[in-house]
Amino acid sequence: MPSVEGMRSQLLQRTRGDKYIWGIVILLALISVLVVYSATGSLAYKMSRGNNEVYLFKQLAFMVMGMLIIYFLHRVNYTIYSKVAMILFMISIPLLIYTLFFGAKINEGSRWIKLPIINMTFQTSDFAKLALFMYLSRVLSKKQEVIKDFKKGFIPALIPVLLVCGLIMPANLSNALLTGATSLLLMFIGRISLKHIFLLILIAMIPVALIVSVAVLTYDGKKKEKDIHNTIAEKSVSFGRFGTWVKRVQDFVYAKDTETPYQVQQAKIAIANGGILMGLGPGNSRQRNFLPQAYNDFIYSIIIEEYGLLGGAFIIFIYLLFLYRCISIFRRCPYAFGAFLALGLSFTLVIQAVANMAVNVNLVPVTGVTLPLVSMGGSSFLFTCGSIGIILSVARNVEQLEGRAEPVVQPVTTNESVTSKIVQS
Amino acid sequence: MDVKRDILWRVYLSYIVVAIVGLVIFGKAVYIQQVQGKHWRSLSDSLHQKIVEVDAERGTIYSEDGQMLSTSIPQFDVYIDFAADGLREKNGKRFKENIDSLSYCLAGLFKDQSALAYKRVLQQGYVDKDRYFLLKRNISYRDYQQLKSFPLVRLGKNKSGFIAEDKSIRLNPYKNLAFRTIGLARDSFKVGLEMTYDSVLKGKSGNRLVRYIAGGVSVPVEGGYESEAEDGKDIVTTLDVFIQEVAEEALMKEMIKNEAEHGCALVMETKTGKIKAIANLGRRSDGNYYEDFNYAISPTEPGSTFKLATMIALLEDKKVSLNSTVNLEGGTWKVADRTVFDSEKHGRYEVTVKQAFELSSNVGMAKLALFNYGSAPSQFIRHLHQLRMDTLTGIDLTGERSPVIFKPGSRFWSATTLPWMAFGYNILVSPLQTLTLYNAVANNGVMMRPYLVSTIKDQGVALREIEPRVVDEKICSEATLKQLKECLEGVCTEGTAKELFKGSSYKVAGKTGTALVANGSRGYEDHIYQSSFAGYFPADNPQYTCVVVIKNKPFAQVFYGASVAGPVFKEIADRLYTTFVKQSNYASQKNIRKDSSVFSYAGYGTDVKDVMKSLSWNFKDSSGIDMDWVNVSARNGSVVVANRKTDVNKMPLLKGLGLKDAVYVCEEMGLKVDVKGRGRVVEQSVLAGQSIAKGQMIKIILN
Repeated sequence: MPSVEGMRSQLLQRTRGDKYIWGIVILLALISVLVVYSATGSLAYKMSRGNNEVYLFKQLAFMVMGMLIIYFLHRVNYTIYSKVAMILFMISIPLLIYTLFFGAKINEGSRWIKLPIINMTFQTSDFAKLALFMYLSRVLSKKQEVIKDFKKGFIPALIPVLLVCGLIMPANLSNALLTGATSLLLMFIGRISLKHIFLLILIAMIPVALIVSVAVLTYDGKKKEKDIHNTIAEKSVSFGRFGTWVKRVQDFVYAKDTETPYQVQQAKIAIANGGILMGLGPGNSRQRNFLPQAYNDFIYSIIIEEYGLLGGAFIIFIYLLFLYRCISIFRRCPYAFGAFLALGLSFTLVIQAVANMAVNVNLVPVTGVTLPLVSMGGSSFLFTCGSIGIILSVARNVEQLEGRAEPVVQPVTTNESVTSKIVQS
Repeated sequence: MDVKRDILWRVYLSYIVVAIVGLVIFGKAVYIQQVQGKHWRSLSDSLHQKIVEVDAERGTIYSEDGQMLSTSIPQFDVYIDFAADGLREKNGKRFKENIDSLSYCLAGLFKDQSALAYKRVLQQGYVDKDRYFLLKRNISYRDYQQLKSFPLVRLGKNKSGFIAEDKSIRLNPYKNLAFRTIGLARDSFKVGLEMTYDSVLKGKSGNRLVRYIAGGVSVPVEGGYESEAEDGKDIVTTLDVFIQEVAEEALMKEMIKNEAEHGCALVMETKTGKIKAIANLGRRSDGNYYEDFNYAISPTEPGSTFKLATMIALLEDKKVSLNSTVNLEGGTWKVADRTVFDSEKHGRYEVTVKQAFELSSNVGMAKLALFNYGSAPSQFIRHLHQLRMDTLTGIDLTGERSPVIFKPGSRFWSATTLPWMAFGYNILVSPLQTLTLYNAVANNGVMMRPYLVSTIKDQGVALREIEPRVVDEKICSEATLKQLKECLEGVCTEGTAKELFKGSSYKVAGKTGTALVANGSRGYEDHIYQSSFAGYFPADNPQYTCVVVIKNKPFAQVFYGASVAGPVFKEIADRLYTTFVKQSNYASQKNIRKDSSVFSYAGYGTDVKDVMKSLSWNFKDSSGIDMDWVNVSARNGSVVVANRKTDVNKMPLLKGLGLKDAVYVCEEMGLKVDVKGRGRVVEQSVLAGQSIAKGQMIKIILN
């Protein structure tokens, strides 16, 4: 009978992969608990009559769940993910279609579906994105020999991207654009011909240019501004969320102090409230009461408010460090799929983080992107944990190959011997 | 490994791009915070911080006996936001499920509309999506607490859309009682004591800097400047609820009887000048009477009660003595080109000055004034000045208006001014001034300033006591005073008020007044009489001075001072006398000879009969079947059971009752009981048959 102490040391011994990445994940999780606990104050007040701990425990539960996912995924030999990627991708397409037509509508966009058994809503695009990037890594690694070829290299990589982005776009344009941009970056890294990439960018720009031009053309100065927003919003009902996009672009381009969207205004106030070195201190945010989604999309503003610019810089630093560590995994990984997997998933994650922070400081228009690992838990948090689990799985293999890895196999359980066999194969 | 290297530079390039974006983000954050920071922070303050006024609680006005006359209580206006998300979510499920039970509860609580009617208005509001639907105004705290427990409402503001706005309103627990004097604390135009002592009562509202947080709740900002609200002070008036009630009831009764236009009754404590009661009633268009104006401090032509001032002047200057004679000319006398009429026909000619006063002869007074002061009218005016008839009394009540007394040489002065002034015309004096003058006579020549507030209190601790103030140590010589008293007592024994006080057990000194008053531009054509009575009691040891002034309707049947204002005075005097003055009468009752064959007991009807039956006593039952209270007494040798029911407003005989029964009877009638001794009631401070008022105190002694 292994003692508790024994079990713990066993667990620790079996926890492999890059120590820095583990550290970063745990650090971000801790920050997340602190900030989310603080930022859910007003939500807790409204929803559960001041019982703030509800959200704290919810977040902690997500943390535990996320860590378990990371642990189990990193124990799996990453080569399996090649097949898994294909299966997941196959599942994700019908799922996206289903969501588009039957999903729960929030703000006109149907992005969510409810899982029947565990009764949890999740954004199918998160799932699809993970599947897409895994699948893309697979395609890019497999096609390296013919990668410069339009038909044999470019098209097989392009088709899954177009499918996923096209299906996400009607409900969530910004997310589709972000996914598309990340995919382009991965294609660039994956040595797809620059010619093809620029061609793709050109085509992708068409809808964006359309929205921006409509926004610019219909924006008719200050006076009629309100009417125009209304009329466009009314007219564009048939175009789904077209009106919302136009309005957002207009808000962003023509924003004056008084007209700044409420969220942006409040986020800026939050940033202004924090100092350089020290913010208002943990749990002392004032803007959490006014900033919608303070615990989610706008958590970065709250971090700056509570921990100052230093805290904000630290978060950026951590994500860059994470990316750097993933690059080092890529460098050390001899197999193309593992290398691409590590790169693809880490870039995705960091780009999402950067996008979130850019929204917070109003560099780009408001989009609903979470800050990976920090925003309040939910399906996206779990999918992020999945990505990290897979990256760590690659890292664990790299370590193993470099000979530093797997210590003397403990004699006992059968389960373990099976695992080590897979590892050795 | 060419491929790997090719990939690697791409990766590093991408990494650098990401890092640069990271730097830009950080730079933008620095820009927002350091460059624009001030702007955003000030915007935050303007959006989320506010200086709110913290209301100070207004002080309470108490009567002298500690009853609240005017106090602040919270009240609520209840609105419904029918567009509240919680109410409308799931297609209005919550609203639809609760509307029936809520309507039922509302109808039960407010009892002003049926449940169906409530349901209809609520549904209409829901359909209209009214965001600020007024459900009910001015709900008391107790009703509001109940309302909060109703279905839907108890789910809270977000789910029910119910909004309650609280406010503080002024409540006069005694409603109409001295209402005009206590005053109104409305924002626009305050009157009465609420106005006079506004600065004391209102306190000081404070300021507080608050920051709004979730759910529309505000919290004080630490370190934000604030000043505490300072609650208003309480004031204790000299008014006595019982005396006020007596005065008001007596006045009201007579006003209704005569359909009089308006009237007032004032009671002053002789030795101090404390106003114990000040009742003002005006007739409203619907025929009801209401405290609509402070008539007591508004000058009018006083009429005959002013003759006291004329007498003081004549006697002080020793122009006449009480026994000097004056010819009344049968009640009609022509002077200059006008005629003086005596309002009460007497047909007398040669009488003494005292008699002229007692008969309230206008001719007599006009003649005496004209003959004695005709050559030097300012001498007469100087007397009026010394008696302070030309100045305000200085009562602590805003709104007292200046009297008008013409002076020789003024353009209003004519040959008839002086003689008319002598009997109270061509002059404007307020009832309160008349009261002050009569009180000075009652108080042995010491004129007291009338006042209404005796103490200013803060949290029950007296901050300032206001002492009685003497305004004139001696208004006239001792000799004059003696003569004046003789005259005033004479009025009640020999003169115009003879009938009124016939058989009174105590002596009253006073003066009637009947004045024909001008009705605006119509002059004296409408025959509107102002009846008044001013006096004090008991005459040999004055305790209270009282003035009653009633303005009658045009062409009233009864208008003499003695028959309109007089009865009011008498009722007030009677009741004050029995309650406060007369304490010595017990002694005379005690000496009644005991007769053991006479007995009188009282008890609960059925019980008494049961007792009699079980003792097999024969008795005559003259009580009804269902009489609760019966009296068992010996009558011509046999036992009689008779019912004890008495008039509800009259004091019943308590003698012979046990304590339980006596208290029951008294409290049933709204009396407060003070008990001494044990056994059966032998004495009661309010005698049987006297009319009583609710809240009155009665002392009973048991033995």
